[in-house]
Amino acid sequence: MAGLSGKRALITGGGRGIGRAIVDRFLADGAQVVTCGRGAPDDLAPAVFVTADLTRQQDIDTLARRAVAEMGGIDILVNNAGVQIEKTVADTTDADWDFLMGVNVAAVFRLCRAVLPIMSGSGGAIVNLGSISADHADPEMAIYNASKGFVHGLTRSIAVDHGAQGIRCNAVCPGWIMTEMADAGFDLAQDPAAARRDAVARTPAGRLGRPEDVANLIAWLCGDEAAFVTGQCYTVDGGLTVATPLRPTLF
Amino acid sequence: MTKRIEGKRAVVTGGAGGIGRAIAARFAAEGASVIAADLPQDAQVPDGVTYYQVDVTRDAAVRAAMARAEEILGGLDVLVTCAGIEIEKTIEETSEEEWDRVMNVNLKGTFLACKHAVPLMRAAGGGSIVTFGSYDGFIADPNLAAYCASKGGVHALTRAMACDYGPEGIRCNAICPGYIETPMLQSFFGHAGDIDKLQDEVRRVHPVRRWGQPEDVANLALWLASDEAGYASGQLWVLDGGLSAQVQQMRL
Repeated sequence: MAGLSGKRALITGGGRGIGRAIVDRFLADGAQVVTCGRGAPDDLAPAVFVTADLTRQQDIDTLARRAVAEMGGIDILVNNAGVQIEKTVADTTDADWDFLMGVNVAAVFRLCRAVLPIMSGSGGAIVNLGSISADHADPEMAIYNASKGFVHGLTRSIAVDHGAQGIRCNAVCPGWIMTEMADAGFDLAQDPAAARRDAVARTPAGRLGRPEDVANLIAWLCGDEAAFVTGQCYTVDGGLTVATPLRPTLF
Repeated sequence: MTKRIEGKRAVVTGGAGGIGRAIAARFAAEGASVIAADLPQDAQVPDGVTYYQVDVTRDAAVRAAMARAEEILGGLDVLVTCAGIEIEKTIEETSEEEWDRVMNVNLKGTFLACKHAVPLMRAAGGGSIVTFGSYDGFIADPNLAAYCASKGGVHALTRAMACDYGPEGIRCNAICPGYIETPMLQSFFGHAGDIDKLQDEVRRVHPVRRWGQPEDVANLALWLASDEAGYASGQLWVLDGGLSAQVQQMRL
């Protein structure tokens, strides 16, 4: 299937985790891809990798310019890059706040702002990585949860304001996906292995998510099949959030 | 291009008209064996689709339809419950019979189809159920009270089934359409004095500047039915061109 054939995609944080799965899927579906990350990447060819610190406006400008230079335009923006800090509000420092909000909030806003004028001629699709944590708080993830609430609100706003220019904007809200970020969450538990078993037991799908599960939905949302879908925050969590947290059988 | 649900066996209730018909056609085109089940005794259905008459409000009829599906298709992997009706009334104007009719088709019909499909999906080692909620299950359209309530019921039922049958590999999701060009929408437009003006207004209030087509809904139903959606379950997939992403607009 080459549902993204000829599309030009800018995907942030494509070096690992969910972002890597998105890059792989977009390449397989025929898209051109420019991606970015903080560190030196593995070989992502034919995707173009740009080293960027998304907390810096200057790096975002450079990234957008480079994407246009490499691909001749941008049809798709996937704001995947994100960080989490495992702390309550009481424990969160100003430095934690500035770092997390810089990546999860400011960079998403700035990248959308940079890309919207590029898309406005011929239309485009933006997908932001939201989270189930925006609507259901993960313990000890206070400002991460809040940052994803921002992403959901911004997603709807862009959809409403820029729909008439042919630009669609949606968010994808993963549940527990097997990445280094999820490992860090499980490591908070007294017994990480038991926490992982509990997580699986609580998930109707009977397994944790894979990065590909999320990439599948993003690929669909960025294709023409989703032409009538905008302003939505679609969850892919194996059913985790449909059931109550109070499960006597798991006590 | 590879067909996306090659070899899957699907039943689409309400499959003779509107959104259900578009889904049945798309599923068949993507390689599935498809039965369209609907209320009329006979119906013209798309190429490659088998028609079967069923009244989704009657347990015995639905049970027989699923037995027939097993016989014709050899099993069941996908169920789409598209059969639905609306009555354009407030609750004061709605008679007990009308209330029962809406609940029977929209909510009980979904319950019965799923109830009798689950054993077939269990035997197949899993499956995908796609129910039809509505954006009206979240926000109200005026004069559509029983319909809104029935769709809210479908949403809750969908989550409950996802929770109960997920461990057996059965996923369950609801599609919640907004304004889609169907006989139902034509009926809505028909109530307006100036249809052209109303249609312009309806376009303008959508962020994407159009209302939806049954094919838009079929695209999502296909994705949810396919293995690409393997980790998607229990969700209410609003598909409305951005309509409900915005608050009501003041005329300035």
